[in-house]
Amino acid sequence: MIFRFWYFIRETFVSLWRNLSLTLAAILTVAISLALVGSSLLIREGANQATAQFQEGVEFIVFMNADALENQNEAIRKVLDTSPAINEYVYVDKFAAYEEFRELFVDKPELVESVTPEIMPPSYRIVPTDPDADNVTELARQFSEQPGVKEVATATEAIRQIEDFSTRVSQALLLAAIVLVAVSAVLILNTVFTAISARKTEIEVMKLVGATNWFIRIPFMLEGTIHGLMGAGLAVPALFVVDSKVLAYFQESEAVPLFRGFAVPDGFVWNTSIWILVIGAAIGMIGSAFAVTRYLDV
Amino acid sequence: MIRFETVTKTYKGEVVALREASAEIQRGEFVFLVGPSGSGKSTFIRLINREEVPDAGKILVAGKDVSSLSSWKVPYLRRNIGYVFQDYKLLPKKTVTENVAFALEVIGRPRPIIKRQVPAILELVGLSRKADRLPEELSGGEQQRVSIARAFVNRPLILLADEPTGNLDPATSVGIMRLLDRINRSGTTVVMATHDRGIVDTMRRRVIELDRGILVRDESRGVYE
Repeated sequence: MIFRFWYFIRETFVSLWRNLSLTLAAILTVAISLALVGSSLLIREGANQATAQFQEGVEFIVFMNADALENQNEAIRKVLDTSPAINEYVYVDKFAAYEEFRELFVDKPELVESVTPEIMPPSYRIVPTDPDADNVTELARQFSEQPGVKEVATATEAIRQIEDFSTRVSQALLLAAIVLVAVSAVLILNTVFTAISARKTEIEVMKLVGATNWFIRIPFMLEGTIHGLMGAGLAVPALFVVDSKVLAYFQESEAVPLFRGFAVPDGFVWNTSIWILVIGAAIGMIGSAFAVTRYLDV
Repeated sequence: MIRFETVTKTYKGEVVALREASAEIQRGEFVFLVGPSGSGKSTFIRLINREEVPDAGKILVAGKDVSSLSSWKVPYLRRNIGYVFQDYKLLPKKTVTENVAFALEVIGRPRPIIKRQVPAILELVGLSRKADRLPEELSGGEQQRVSIARAFVNRPLILLADEPTGNLDPATSVGIMRLLDRINRSGTTVVMATHDRGIVDTMRRRVIELDRGILVRDESRGVYE
């Protein structure tokens, strides 16, 4: 068994080396396509994070002072409950706000340590009856004048732009990625096919002396899988670059509301990386499996 | 050992390669398949080791119906059947020893067995002194000996040879035939397709003649025509 293992490894790498230019082309295509897949996922996640508070129809958020008095809160609540302009609202107390903050900045413990639930502003997330921008602006102005209110954040044009932009960019990237993934699968198929052609006599002899089909196939399938994995391996660092660049770009944007950044948690980047590796290996296996079943059967 | 029961094989439904051929070959026999090009000799051989599947009829090899064998079992059938090509099909970048060892490696034989069997078989075919040469450094006859060594190293029950002397001059061919004869005397059934009248007439073994896919003659101790 050990001997077979080394046989497969040796045969696979000899073949990779023989086809160097095709191998490199296949690996690079996989890398580019998977970097695009990953970027698309990251941008989508970033936009979700940035606009999370403004989902499900929430158009503006009233942040109270951390030390707002109970009667100040009651006054706000009374308006919210009675005003026909307000459809519904959610109250986020300081503890819930603290929990959210911790979740969002789970990668930055020093930041989390610097705050306590005591200093977190409680807030009301408000769904107005009429989501028209002018109406929302007017409502926001009225609330910001109430006692105890620290700040009112609206789902401004900029937030909408982020959502819009990120949706378009991530969809475009995803489309390009799908095309490239297909291209890379075909390239891997071709590379493996070339490897098979280069060893026609060898394969013929193997078949006639009674090597099993799997014994013949495994080195070629490994070869394709390695193409996919190596490409994915190159795409992963690219993801981290994209992560830091995108992060920087949107953090400079003024659209980012209180406590919310266009930040993608590191954990998400790692998860995406694992997916990228899995997808890479799958592309390689599928491409080579096609080549092998098409050109290698008895 | 090998039994054809009214076997018919056509290619693309039109070209008849073999029509209702029946024959029985006993263990340890030496059989020449003769006939002009396209008469069905190669098909006959390729049916035995399941490179081809018949359209009708049955082919029994060592008691098993190979025409209905499931494809994952085919490699195990072939481990009992050696195959010698007209054009040797040696791997150019491997030495004589490596070429022969290859046949054992790819069926997962353990290394100690390979190390014992390969030199023994090279001794048998008379190539011990050229064990480390590459195929291109050998004559045609020597290359065919390597090919036979590779086919026989696993001690198969049956040895199939498709025109093994087709690329060799008569003197060299005699050497190859001596070798095949020796292998046959050790108990291996040999089926050999050939055009070589001289060889068939000298050896006087069983001859099966095919003509346009029809088995027209089957005689023991026969001649070419």
